[in-house]
Amino acid sequence: MATYSLANERLRALEDIEREIGAILQNAGTAILELSKEKTNERLLDRQAAAFTTSVQHVEAELSAQIRYLTQVATGQPHEGSSYSSRKDCQMALKRVDYARLKISDVARTCEQMLEN
Amino acid sequence: MAQQRALPQSKETLLQSYNKRLKDDIKSIMDNFTEIIKTAKIEDETQVSRATQGEQDNYEMHVRAANIVRAGESLMKLVSDLKQFLILNDFPSVNEAIDQRNQQLRALQEECDRKLITLRDEVSIDLYELEEEYYSSSSSLCEANDLPLCEAYWRLDLDADSADGLSAPLLASPETGAGPLQSAAPVHSHGGGPGPTEHT
Repeated sequence: MATYSLANERLRALEDIEREIGAILQNAGTAILELSKEKTNERLLDRQAAAFTTSVQHVEAELSAQIRYLTQVATGQPHEGSSYSSRKDCQMALKRVDYARLKISDVARTCEQMLEN
Repeated sequence: MAQQRALPQSKETLLQSYNKRLKDDIKSIMDNFTEIIKTAKIEDETQVSRATQGEQDNYEMHVRAANIVRAGESLMKLVSDLKQFLILNDFPSVNEAIDQRNQQLRALQEECDRKLITLRDEVSIDLYELEEEYYSSSSSLCEANDLPLCEAYWRLDLDADSADGLSAPLLASPETGAGPLQSAAPVHSHGGGPGPTEHT
């Protein structure tokens, strides 16, 4: 199990699990609907029931793995890292560029005025 | 396999509760589904009439189906809680995300500064030509109080800004990027002759 995988991958895995939970309910509903018919299609019923059981076991295994990973990784302390300093530096660089653009446009305007005069 | 760290009580309790919720919900789904399938079996009539038994089975199936749906919703809530816990407490991925963001922002900042330095070099050449043109033209007045072009420009700038109450501190404390632009002009005005080669 990749301990240092990106958060996006784990969140994506959890979203897949959510979709699979929806599929579990769908399969259960389809199996019971098939059972309620007068002439039951046994093969379809078996297939739906098997898919239901497989999905349930898969969801349980995945969620257990996620909880196990969190038990290993969680420290109980708040994370105090931030990207504030580099964000501020980048902001100041953009401000420098804006300022330079402003001054150059002033110079250009002055030159145009002088040319007109 | 990593050893179990000593988590604070609250976090450990929380994770144990997640495990319990998972087990309970999965058990509820499986049991209720199995019971529905069992109830669907047609049996011989016993003490209760077939109609009554049918009504009872109908009600029981409704309740069990509702239980399956409730357990499914509870699982969805559990997944949502796990997502939240992951975002807040998965330090390796949070560290990686912060490092990536820092790298992106630093690269952008370096790009901006590199372009500003290139701009400074180009503008200093143009400024030299402009000043030459200005001093050699008839529009420059030869008086004792005649200011160099840059100082006249800054004086104009200061007058405009002091009316607004802005940016005088900016001119007083030159920034690193804009600094070279400002420092290039006085070298031109005081030197007079030497041009861009002074900056190299």
